[in-house]
Amino acid sequence: MEMKSTSWLKARNLSRSYRRGSSEVRALDDVSVSVERGEYISIVGSSGSGKTTLLNLLSGLDSPTSGTVEFQGTALQLMTKRELALYRAKKVGMVFQSFNLIPQFTALQNVEIALYFNGTNAKERRRQSQAILEQLGLSDRVTHKPADLSGGEQQRVALARAIVKKPEILFADEPTGNLDYENAQQIASLINNLNKENYTIILVTHNIELAKKNSNRIIKMQYGKIAEGDGAKGEGSMQI
Amino acid sequence: MTVPDMLRISLGNMWRMKLRASLTVAGVTIAIAAFVSMISFGAGNQQNIERQYNDLGLFTTMYVYPKDKSNGVDTIVHPKLDKQALTRFAKISGVNLVYPYDAFSIKIKFGDSIITSRAQSISSEAIQTKLYSRINTGKTFDSDSSKQIIISSEVVKQLGIAVPDSVIGKKVIAYVHVSQIDSGLAHILVDKGESLLDRIKKIHFDSLLNSRYRAKVIRSEVNSVIRRFLNGFMNAQEKLTDTLVVCGVRDVVRSGRMKIEPVIIPIATAERFRSNGFSQNPVEIFSAMSSGTFLKESDDINGFSYSQVTLDLDSHTPYQSIKDTIEHLGYKTFSFAEQFKEIQKFFFYFDIGLGIIGLIALITASLGIVNTMVMSIIERKREIGILKSLGAYERDIGILFLFESGMIGLIGTTLGIFVGWTITRIISMVAQSYMRDQGIPDMQLFALPVWLILISLAVGIGVSVLAGFYPAARASRIDPVEALRND
Ligand SMILES: Nc1ncnc2c1ncn2[C@@H]1O[C@H](COP(=O)(O)OP(=O)(O)OP(=O)(O)O)[C@@H](O)[C@H]1O
Ligand SMILES: [Mg+2]
Repeated sequence: MEMKSTSWLKARNLSRSYRRGSSEVRALDDVSVSVERGEYISIVGSSGSGKTTLLNLLSGLDSPTSGTVEFQGTALQLMTKRELALYRAKKVGMVFQSFNLIPQFTALQNVEIALYFNGTNAKERRRQSQAILEQLGLSDRVTHKPADLSGGEQQRVALARAIVKKPEILFADEPTGNLDYENAQQIASLINNLNKENYTIILVTHNIELAKKNSNRIIKMQYGKIAEGDGAKGEGSMQI
Repeated sequence: MTVPDMLRISLGNMWRMKLRASLTVAGVTIAIAAFVSMISFGAGNQQNIERQYNDLGLFTTMYVYPKDKSNGVDTIVHPKLDKQALTRFAKISGVNLVYPYDAFSIKIKFGDSIITSRAQSISSEAIQTKLYSRINTGKTFDSDSSKQIIISSEVVKQLGIAVPDSVIGKKVIAYVHVSQIDSGLAHILVDKGESLLDRIKKIHFDSLLNSRYRAKVIRSEVNSVIRRFLNGFMNAQEKLTDTLVVCGVRDVVRSGRMKIEPVIIPIATAERFRSNGFSQNPVEIFSAMSSGTFLKESDDINGFSYSQVTLDLDSHTPYQSIKDTIEHLGYKTFSFAEQFKEIQKFFFYFDIGLGIIGLIALITASLGIVNTMVMSIIERKREIGILKSLGAYERDIGILFLFESGMIGLIGTTLGIFVGWTITRIISMVAQSYMRDQGIPDMQLFALPVWLILISLAVGIGVSVLAGFYPAARASRIDPVEALRND
């Protein structure tokens, strides 16, 4: 299919295989996606369809077996490890289903750590982290350790950590998967608000209703391929 | 990541694994404690010797001896260690003072007790050198000719005096025996009021041409000489006495080459004994006889040669140049500074030997660090994945782990130095109470110099960081995707 070369984030013919003993698992099979700035994309699909794999490749955490990812015209595959680390440190925010907070750190420290790797000084780190936690309604939880926070609060801390560095793209992999309805709604609306603040959002979810309600576009994955919807904005917005 | 960040992460992690971390730290602590206490022993001994050398001024003391008399038919004549030689040494730049070692046996009478000891005569200048000036109680001589005497604490004990202070200012009587051989020789010249000259006058020189008379005279004279000699030798009663005032009591110093006699008398006061010929060391007499210098050509005091001369050197002049100059003049030398260099060399190897033993313990402890860190990686896989997802570079992760093993090293080493020091304190206390019972003066068996602290820190932290390299490399290679998977 035709893709605009001016796309902001662009994946071309991405494949990712994993060796499992003697057999090979194709987690992602020739996937091409392009994302424009400020888009809100939802990725849906059954378990094992390759959603996380795609997210990891786009965020530079993983590298493809073949194909390329370009961000603002630069191929991640051509970057050095250091540049790739900086790409993650500066441009990318990530939220996971299982929160992935560091247990021995307080909420504030968990947020601050996101600024360790992009050259922010200690004073600024503290100030910005406190501000973002306040913004997410956690100002009375800053000194709590993850174990002393509810699931919803933990995910809000994780969201704070992802956005404190003001990333270009926010990747969220089933961020509401471990939350009850109320907390899930809260997180979803926070993400929605972020999109309104012009954050680009790529969200993996099982909640189709939520996806339909909030996102510009839905990509459905199946067996490592894009089953419905695709790259270009507008053209692939599917109806389920 | 800044150092405080890493500090917080690694301390937080150690706190979480309190038991395991403290056991690992304990391994390092024990190893460093062993390292510190062993080397501290070497260092303590070295310091003791150095202190003693400094106190006695040995670094600026040099002994000069005459070269051994060549055996057999060797024709080389080595220069004598006489007054002229002394004057020559005194002119060498860097030599502050030259004085001979001049000893004789003496009897000391104090009250009812009489003891036999050895004495040496010293000038009032030489007594001011560090080697002699350390007086325990009292003071040194007033002048070369003062009727004073310095005795060692041992002599004080032998005289049955309990408190050394009480003997200061008291009078003692010194007896010096004239040697038997000298006495024998003296009798050849004068016996029972009849001098040799009187006997010669009795000889009829005119009749000496008559062979029978000549034989009779020779026989009678030889018999007379032998009789006179034996008479003097057997009945030597010549004794010189002097009343001297005890001005100081000094500690007994025993150390290898150093010869300080228990009794010290001012040089001019002792000269009176010398001019009457006090008994010498028998070995010296025999060597004097064999070298033909026993009966001196003149009574001139310059004819006398010494067995040892002490030089007091200027501390700024290198001893080697002075040593070279004197050896060039044909004498043997002994330098304490040179000896100290040898001692230092010995302690260097001694310390290295002890250090290696400590190092082996440390290597064992470092295996504990490797084990702890590898376990830590497995447990902290997710944390590493999180850090990488947040943009940590491989090297950041590696440094974090190195920092952590370094922290174990730092804490372990610091505690180890403290524990090691405590051990040496305890041993020292026990040993000192024992030594005090044995009457051995107080001394530090151990020393903890700054260099030892620095070396321990460097070695302890260095080995720990080294032990962290493998775990750090493994940690930095952890695949974040793998680490963050939910299964
Ligand atoms: N590190 C890996 N080693 C081996 N196989 C892997 C690895 N990561 C993913 N896979 C496999 O790749 C496929 C895609 O996995 P992926 O995690 O992307 O699926 P998903 O769509 O995110 O599923 P879920 O909804 O359960 O999270 C799966 O079959 C998975 O078992
Ligand atoms: Mg997934």
